[in-house]
Amino acid sequence: MDAELMQREFMYPGHVACPGCGAAIAMRFLLKALGEKTVMIIPACCWSIIAGPYPQSALKTPIIHCAFETAASTASGVRAALDMLGDTETTVVAWAGDGGTFDIGFQALSGAVERNDNFLYVCYDNEAYMNTGIQRSSSTPYGAWTMTTPGRDWKKMRKKNIVEILAAHRIPYVATASIAYPDDFIRKAKKAKEIKGSRFLHVYTTCPTGWRIPSEISIKIARMAVQTNIFPLYEVEDGTRYTINYRPREYLVREYFRMQGRFRHLTDKDLDQIQKMVDEDWQRLLSKAGQG
Amino acid sequence: MTAEIKNRFLIPLSWITTEGNKTGSWRFLRPRFENKTAPCSAGCPAGEDIPLIEMLIAQGEFKEAWETILTENPFPAVCGRVCFHPCEGFCNRGSYDEPIAIHTMERFLADTASRYDFRASATDTPSHKERIAIAGGGPSGLSAAWFLSRLGYQCDVYEASPEVGGVLRWGIPAYRLPKDAFLQDLRHLEEKGVGIVTNKRIDEDFLKDKDDAYSAFIVACGHGKGQKMGIPGEDNPLVIEGLDFLKNIREEKSVGCEGTTAVIGGGNTAIDVARSVIRLGGKAVIYYRRRRGDMPAFDEEIRMALEEGVEIFELLSPAEIRRDNNQLLLSLQKMVVSGEESGRARVVPDGKKQETVRVDRVIRAIGAKPQEAWMNPPDNGADVQRLSHSCLVYKKGQKPVVYAGDLTNETKSVTHAIASGKQAAIALDVLFREGFAAVPKKLDLCRIGNGQAHSIEIYTGGRRKERSSHIVEFSEVNTDYFTFTPRIRPPLLLVEERRRSFNEITLKISAGIAIEEAGRCFNCGLCNGCDNCRLFCPDLAVIKNGEIRTINYDYCKGCGICVVECPRNAMSLEEEENT
Repeated sequence: MDAELMQREFMYPGHVACPGCGAAIAMRFLLKALGEKTVMIIPACCWSIIAGPYPQSALKTPIIHCAFETAASTASGVRAALDMLGDTETTVVAWAGDGGTFDIGFQALSGAVERNDNFLYVCYDNEAYMNTGIQRSSSTPYGAWTMTTPGRDWKKMRKKNIVEILAAHRIPYVATASIAYPDDFIRKAKKAKEIKGSRFLHVYTTCPTGWRIPSEISIKIARMAVQTNIFPLYEVEDGTRYTINYRPREYLVREYFRMQGRFRHLTDKDLDQIQKMVDEDWQRLLSKAGQG
Repeated sequence: MTAEIKNRFLIPLSWITTEGNKTGSWRFLRPRFENKTAPCSAGCPAGEDIPLIEMLIAQGEFKEAWETILTENPFPAVCGRVCFHPCEGFCNRGSYDEPIAIHTMERFLADTASRYDFRASATDTPSHKERIAIAGGGPSGLSAAWFLSRLGYQCDVYEASPEVGGVLRWGIPAYRLPKDAFLQDLRHLEEKGVGIVTNKRIDEDFLKDKDDAYSAFIVACGHGKGQKMGIPGEDNPLVIEGLDFLKNIREEKSVGCEGTTAVIGGGNTAIDVARSVIRLGGKAVIYYRRRRGDMPAFDEEIRMALEEGVEIFELLSPAEIRRDNNQLLLSLQKMVVSGEESGRARVVPDGKKQETVRVDRVIRAIGAKPQEAWMNPPDNGADVQRLSHSCLVYKKGQKPVVYAGDLTNETKSVTHAIASGKQAAIALDVLFREGFAAVPKKLDLCRIGNGQAHSIEIYTGGRRKERSSHIVEFSEVNTDYFTFTPRIRPPLLLVEERRRSFNEITLKISAGIAIEEAGRCFNCGLCNGCDNCRLFCPDLAVIKNGEIRTINYDYCKGCGICVVECPRNAMSLEEEENT
């Protein structure tokens, strides 16, 4: 990363994210890429807390806190207002967690991107409703423990593939990014900034608290998610053109699962099953990218 | 401003930052920057700062890298060629793919120094009144002179031969160590103002110092006298001493090598002799009493000797030599392995089984000893300190004497000789400043990690002193930041060319290749400014000021990401006190 990008920060310390929070790192990277001419729309999510209690703010850019289900529609409105003011320079960003994207904010998101409204929607995905106390969402992966999928009732449904859903809307740009790959992340955020229309970034953000992992391996876990093909790094342009950005070393998924408390109950048989699912998804992605 | 205030009534608008929250109070683990010790540098007898050298090469700072070698070792051109590089055996990268080619990097820096005519910077002027005499101008004596002059002493080196260098000048053949390479290193010693007196053989009386010219002596005369086999017929003029044979070649005297030459021994001298015989057009056969795997010669040397056509017969010990016209009949006793001793086979005669070979001469290379008995260090006593690489003697009413080099070293290599010279210099400095009793403790303080090597930089309080003595293990390196890359192999002369001449075998490498190879280095325990700590900190608590990085403990929550994401273990995480 070049020195100028390393140097510029649009976040303040003293925010109240948990130690090792991936979402805090993701916000730092995103703003490094986008710069100060950015408006953040934040629905109910961890970041509503992280940004600080009133009257504090953890960001040097404006934030609009909005209702849980309204990130995309608020972004549409802010964009329209800026356009009326003749401000085409400012980037409007909806910054929502997986709950506000996959579940509660889903219809607003689908509606806004169907209209191809001109904003960047970033979902920072920590795979459950974390700030309310770790409840499962439709982003929670198969096999995970949460407060609402406890004990033997661990989640038996697969994680919703949000990237495919967004790609199916044929919007100009959908991509995945990870906090463990800052250069790739920042390149995608910059690319997204320059594109007109609806853009969607799906960002993998570790949650040490909710995943029952030590905070210091936050980045390592994120890297392993990519290297096991659980969270591949790729882009979809216009809903059709797939590019895989990183060919991983293909570690076994069990190495990733064994490091996390939320998967501790899984047996070897379960892990074999998960490995099959991951392999299958990866093959499907490869064939979409014309590499299958 | 008015608009802002108005808005505050319409919707709540933040007007202060989160900086007031000192989230550092949450912390129960405390990260900190802590450079540590790399295993290679602890494994280098001369204690070179290898991770720093590789880092500087990777950054293209060749002069700084070369001077970093010079800090701990005055012989980069020599060691870049003849050192048996134990460092590479300790290299953590060896547990990942292949060790860094540290040896080749040292050679590269020496070549670069010669090409761009690097000079060792700022010579420090002698600041101490003590003057020291050094007997022997081999690698240990010259090293002692180098380190003593760096510590501010005047010294004179006395050498019996017409030129200094010892084994470097007269022993090792030119295809391994060309004369120019040695002279290149000798130059900075000369520029240091070390007095060199050649053609002056030292005797026992010299230590008595009748003129009172010196404050201390270093005896570093080496092992210059070949050992005898102790068998009948050994005194025949066709039985030649290996060291003399090599010396004659280096003095460009003609040595006959026609026909078959039997070489007795399994060390580097034996291999050097055999390979020289091949180059002079003769046939060389090595007879060794143990097995080939037990030979003390370096594996690489043995391998190349075989390539060049040297034959090696094992488990044969010379028993008798008889003259037969202009040839010799060499009887060899067959040996069998009866067990193991210190990692090598113990062998005993296999009954009376003997074989006899007809050869044109026998060259003996079974080890060497001091030329005269007084060169050996005295037996133990209250006034004798046996150190790891030298022996310090300070008898009442006499001047202190340090015995160094082959005279005291268990492993007789050039690098160990350099280590010995360094230890002798430090020992004398401590003795002059703080007295005889303080020597062991002071030496211990400038050890690198838990190894045998000492660092002059640590001794003189340089930046290396700040590093922790913890030796970085492979498991502590974050290999996610490295990719498998094969190590470089320096180009070599073709075997056909090697057989014909004494030209140097190992050729030069380009700067581009060197930079790439040095970039493979993990730089174990040494911050190279990669900035991962700063990049990944969720709390913006790693601050960079110039090239200095610090942690802002007002905000650091102690998550530990910086420590784990440091690729080279240059950070540590400790439990916070008062929690």
